[in-house]
Amino acid sequence: MKKGMIKVSDGFERIVHWSMAISCLILMITGLGMMFHSFNFLGIPVGGLKNLKLIHNFSGLAFIPSLFFAILIWWKEAGIFKFPEDLEWIMVAGGYLWHVDKVPETGKYNPGQKAFFWAVAFFGVVMSVTGLIMWFPLSFPVELVRWMYPLHALGFFVLFPFFFVHLYLGTVGVPGSVSAILTGWVTRSWAKKQCPKWLKEMEESGKLEISE
Amino acid sequence: MSEKIKLCDLSKCTGCRGCQLACKQWNQLPAKQTVNTGTYQNPPDLQPNTWNIIRFQEISDGNGGVDWLFRHDACMHCTDAACVKVCPSGALHYTKYGTVALDSGKCIGCKECVFACPFEVPKYDPETDKILKCDMCYSRIDNDMEPACVKACPTGALMFGDKTEILKVAYERARELGGDASVYGDKFVDGTHMVYVLPEKAGIYDKLPEKPRVPLSVIAWKDWLKPLSLLAAGGVIAGSFLHYITHGPKDTSGDGDQVSKEGGE
Repeated sequence: MKKGMIKVSDGFERIVHWSMAISCLILMITGLGMMFHSFNFLGIPVGGLKNLKLIHNFSGLAFIPSLFFAILIWWKEAGIFKFPEDLEWIMVAGGYLWHVDKVPETGKYNPGQKAFFWAVAFFGVVMSVTGLIMWFPLSFPVELVRWMYPLHALGFFVLFPFFFVHLYLGTVGVPGSVSAILTGWVTRSWAKKQCPKWLKEMEESGKLEISE
Repeated sequence: MSEKIKLCDLSKCTGCRGCQLACKQWNQLPAKQTVNTGTYQNPPDLQPNTWNIIRFQEISDGNGGVDWLFRHDACMHCTDAACVKVCPSGALHYTKYGTVALDSGKCIGCKECVFACPFEVPKYDPETDKILKCDMCYSRIDNDMEPACVKACPTGALMFGDKTEILKVAYERARELGGDASVYGDKFVDGTHMVYVLPEKAGIYDKLPEKPRVPLSVIAWKDWLKPLSLLAAGGVIAGSFLHYITHGPKDTSGDGDQVSKEGGE
């Protein structure tokens, strides 16, 4: 590894991230196959729509614990908005949409990422609860079960855009980001741009891990 | 192909259950051991292997006596069918006669139709992990025969034919009966393909909703959220691409930028 790289994620974070990412991807693809008749063909490679449903349900079971750990490990850094600096960041959209001379400095996660955290935390729970009830609907009252389906669809409506923006900004949109969640190491210049306040705090407290 | 409907004139029904039996015979649905629950109604509800039943119901006639009501209950075959709307696999589908048939091979046992149907008709069979319901004897009507239940009905309470013709008969019969008699079925969910002539007020009959409709949850789910989620997903994918080719990716290289200077010193 190059010298002077900075550690931004530990092994457990990366495991949780990827178990969520993989289960979410499978859930979205299999869900799509059941939501639209024009995507029914997604069931063909797995031997039919019934198997697609089973894969969807069991991926959901993998998603639930990863969601639990994701909330547990990230709520402190990504779950708490800090005012007024986060508001200032939001007012200029973090410099992502138009040219901004001086983007307000953020900690480890910017307000956009915090919004993503909350969307996933809240709608992740909604998806889990509604999904489980939809799996065993005969044990619940009719009127309750009926509303689980639109709530599940609402979850997709909210989560997909967040997911895609996360994917875009985590890869080609912000070069140098992928390694943060693949190996855990990023360049100093990336860290200075993406989490300046966090970098400063870590340096001051002497906790910053730098590769040698 | 003209729409076909089944008329069920309850004023002529004697509760003989010939329709219930004929259905089992034609569709090869042998009965299971039943339990005496203190009523002629048996089994107590539609089942995966019982696609039509006679509901037996006692009501006061207002003079200290009792009226005994019989109602042939089966799939209503809605024109705007909630079950077809929610079915993810296309197992439930409209036929050329306007009826709602079921392609059992396609059914994945998700039970979404069970909760969508305003008449609580589709029933889940845990043994086969499938939904089952009346298909208006598609195999018969497609060969110019009446559904088995209609064929068996000894009193003429059940009739089957072209929609316009049968509706005319229904309205004439309701007028003939007078009083509280009415035609039930053609005025909601864009018209059902089983219609009743009800001698009593609609609200009196057990398990027969007065104003059935596609549940709001189904409309919110299939008519609003489904297209909206496509729009949102497409929008965000297109938006990200536009962002990349116009605004461009963020520059995270080099140390000499403004932010890091201010941050680092």
